[in-house]
Amino acid sequence: MTFDLTISVADLLLLLPEIFLTCWLCVVLIVDFSCPRLPHTRLAFLSVIGLAATMACLAWFDVAHVSGSLFGNMFVLDRMAIFFKMFVVGSTALVILASMQYVDRFTLFRGEYYFLVVMSALGMMFMASANDMLSLFVSIEFSTLGFYILVGYLREDLTSNEAGLKFFVLGVFAAGLLAYGISLVYGETGKLVFSEMTPTHTTGAMIGFLLIFAALGFKIGAVPFHSWIPDTYHGAPTPVTAFLSIAPKGAAFAILIRLFFVALASFKPIWVLLLVAVSILSMTYGNIVAIAQRNIKRLLAYSGIAQIGNVLIGLAAGTKMGSDAILFYLLTYLFANIGAFAVVIAVAQAIGSEEIDDYSGLNRRSPFLAFAMLLFLLSLAGVPPLAGFIGKLYIFIAAVKEGLYTLITVGLINIVISMYYYLVVVKKMYINEPTDPSPVSVSGPMKAVVYIGLAGTLVIGIYPQPVIEWVVDATLMFSNMVGPSAVVAPPLPPFGG
Amino acid sequence: MVEYILLYILFAPFAGALALIFVSNRQPMLVRGIAVASTFVCLVAAMYLFYAYDPVKGGFQFVQKFQWSKELGIALHLGVDGIGTPLVLASAVLLFTGVFVSWHITDRTKEFYIWLLILAAATIGVFMSLDLFFLYFFYEMSVIPMYLLLGMWGSHTKKYLEMTDPEGVKLRDSVGFIFNFGANSKEYAAMKLVLFLSAFAVMALMGILLIYKYSGLNTFDILVLREQANLMNIPALGTTLDKIIWILVFFGFASIAPIWPLHSWSPVGHAAAPAATSMLHAGVLMKLGHFSIIRVAFEILPDTTRELMPIAAVLCVFSIVYGGLVAFYAKDTKYVIGYSSSSHMGYVFLGMAALNYISLSGAVIYMFAHAMATGMLFAMAGWVYDQTHTRDLPSLGGLSNKMPFIAGCFVVGCMASIGMPGTVNFIAEVMIIVGSWNKYPLQVIVAVLGIVLTMAYLFNMMRAVFYGPMSQKYSHTRDAVATVDRLPLLVMIAVSVGFGIFPMQLYDVVRSGVDPLVAKITYVAPVARTGDETGGIGRDPAPGADRPPLLATHPRALTSYASRGHE
Repeated sequence: MTFDLTISVADLLLLLPEIFLTCWLCVVLIVDFSCPRLPHTRLAFLSVIGLAATMACLAWFDVAHVSGSLFGNMFVLDRMAIFFKMFVVGSTALVILASMQYVDRFTLFRGEYYFLVVMSALGMMFMASANDMLSLFVSIEFSTLGFYILVGYLREDLTSNEAGLKFFVLGVFAAGLLAYGISLVYGETGKLVFSEMTPTHTTGAMIGFLLIFAALGFKIGAVPFHSWIPDTYHGAPTPVTAFLSIAPKGAAFAILIRLFFVALASFKPIWVLLLVAVSILSMTYGNIVAIAQRNIKRLLAYSGIAQIGNVLIGLAAGTKMGSDAILFYLLTYLFANIGAFAVVIAVAQAIGSEEIDDYSGLNRRSPFLAFAMLLFLLSLAGVPPLAGFIGKLYIFIAAVKEGLYTLITVGLINIVISMYYYLVVVKKMYINEPTDPSPVSVSGPMKAVVYIGLAGTLVIGIYPQPVIEWVVDATLMFSNMVGPSAVVAPPLPPFGG
Repeated sequence: MVEYILLYILFAPFAGALALIFVSNRQPMLVRGIAVASTFVCLVAAMYLFYAYDPVKGGFQFVQKFQWSKELGIALHLGVDGIGTPLVLASAVLLFTGVFVSWHITDRTKEFYIWLLILAAATIGVFMSLDLFFLYFFYEMSVIPMYLLLGMWGSHTKKYLEMTDPEGVKLRDSVGFIFNFGANSKEYAAMKLVLFLSAFAVMALMGILLIYKYSGLNTFDILVLREQANLMNIPALGTTLDKIIWILVFFGFASIAPIWPLHSWSPVGHAAAPAATSMLHAGVLMKLGHFSIIRVAFEILPDTTRELMPIAAVLCVFSIVYGGLVAFYAKDTKYVIGYSSSSHMGYVFLGMAALNYISLSGAVIYMFAHAMATGMLFAMAGWVYDQTHTRDLPSLGGLSNKMPFIAGCFVVGCMASIGMPGTVNFIAEVMIIVGSWNKYPLQVIVAVLGIVLTMAYLFNMMRAVFYGPMSQKYSHTRDAVATVDRLPLLVMIAVSVGFGIFPMQLYDVVRSGVDPLVAKITYVAPVARTGDETGGIGRDPAPGADRPPLLATHPRALTSYASRGHE
């Protein structure tokens, strides 16, 4: 295997967002070291400016249709990669805005916090472009490295330490699985680049892919690889939880789509069954366990597991429309989830609690936050006219075209289950009376995050067509995936999945 | 401008809700003013729509179509036919009156009106949707506001507040309480309503998705699907696909109607809801079920409907009898009206099941009539509750001394609900009974006995609330004197009695919607209306002008029509 390592300057243009962000990252770190008196909020704004510039660059790529690949196909820049990079960069910027107040809580290393967040984002941008087993491994570990530190950032808080340790141990274990799986696959196929793989149905290759899927399942938190999620989400600083619940999921789905749709396209009948099983387990387990939660972060953690199960329906459909639906769904999930976590941070800042019982009467204390939370939760539940409803419907339409009736039935039942626990929170906020009626104030950047979340949730829900067009264009390269026969409906297969 | 009339009706309440977000709760009169203004626009536009709808032309009129998503095949396709038009009018009337009925709500007034307007606008949206996606969209959208309306402004039933715990134990949190008495709390009612309706709504959504897939047309447009979708004779699960879809759609939507075994959310919800919400809920929200069944199952699967509609004919008997008997024994004003509503919805199902021109028209008119009658009753039950803070029948009594106006209106409401000649309910009931007699004589006998039962429990309630000796503790209660309090009742009475005396416009509009539908389902041609039949004044006497073109060409239609003539 030979790599073409001669790179021209023009090729490096494809790496411009990453190179720029790396430089900016250094600037942030240097500013932090050289001006110790500088309030950390300035650093936050500095990071956000860098991310905004990266976003502008990516937007330009998207409009100008810049695409290509580098390093012997290890790094690929296509419209889907651009979509996921924008996803990651956007969510990172929102997380930084949402954490500005929270960072006051850290006694030390306030500046490094922003550095680590942006560094993880950088790793995830590489994940979005990974087109090769090696770059997959390196970029995943690169992005997770920052998270290991971030999760345990509250040094005096035992739950945070526990969360960090748990995440680290399980994360390293997953990395081991990943590396082992890659080695098996390489041994069987002799290839590393996704598009060049012609997997043989040998035991080694199958086990290898299963191990890789397990490691990626760990990243997205799908059942049965989910066990780190609740404790880690609970213990981590809330902005980190928000970050962890959104950006890595998006980046991991970029890899999953490439892996399944490109490298494993010929295995489709097998992985559809695998994904159906994982999806059903994730949705059902996440939603049922979420009912019993008393802490809002744990509730969102379990609801996140269930949401991932929903996204996997799109992957199980295994068509171009399925990949469109995944991209669309993740976008709706981004706005609703970041908004919900922003409200959690704002409420925790004011009342110092993350218990659901303490949300009692939030409507009287801060009508704005309660209303925002209501819309975010209903969007997560999938209630029209909010974005989550369109996302769910898009996924179901993609799946119904492939005849995955069992999966859709389970998904629909799960909508109702999830509605229950989201409405329990709504009941606390709106129906119960507050024990302490003092108003809850919201800081400026936090308000901005909540407004952006609201705007995204409502606009995508009421007029999704521009976003649909965007995601349809972003996955054009999968047009050759076996699609539904649109004219002649095949006979209904037995309800087996 | 007139062609956009549906948009005005639909978006006036939404615009009102949007405007209310920017108003402070400290200006309650401004809040109410905005609510009144937006609902007034909606009402006037709906009245215009009703009279501008051309029954001779028939079909879907004032159609608006905006491409919403090409990839998914969704368009905001709005239009009303003879079935949708009266229901849009009923929603607009109940929304307008509901704003006045809830005039005295002081706790979070703004939020109340916002959710009320969203609820009503969403129901109106269902009545004018010609796209399966938007039908479901508005349907589900109308369910969620109920949760907040019930939970925030609703009331517990009597027993809930009596559940005191001498030991200070959290009795209300105990498992036993949840199973036995939790049903009396408004939170329980709200949660049950939303989960129940959502659970069945997703069932209907499954049916809609199957229609979408197996039609293979990549569209949710009802007009396209009903012409081109071929869903018959596809084997699935030991039966055929169209039957599965029909069952999913029918029971999915019948839960909100509510048909007998699926009714239990409804009286609990009615009882917990504030007056205006009960009005909209019983008045129009329940009709979403019948309407959606007509729009989806009748339009897209006519042959399956003919085959399976006897299910409804069986279940409606249980609805009528069960609802009536429970209403007779209930001791709570709102439970009585709630169960009477679910009982009366059985009549609508009977009319639908008979699949006859007269009976289906009767069913549609009954939906309209019931909206007014039950709206009045709930409005007055709400007034009595506000004044006395109880809904318990045995402890009430003699209130006609204190509130003669309300008592008088209540009598009218009861008469309308029973179906007294002179109210539009009478016309609807007679049409259902006459129309269904040939096909379901047994059910008709039960339905007639059900009217007697209705009389019994409504008179019973009237006597218990307004007549007999009055307890001294109600001496502070007062009558509805102010215009804002009297207006809603007068409006509903005017509509009910007005259409009872001059029903022809309503009848013509409804017939124009029902005729092509029944013709398509039963292949029986409507009896051509002649000038004599309609009074012959100013009408186009051309026979068969409203006969759908389908019949002229369909050989089976003509034979069955001919063979019917020989009977």
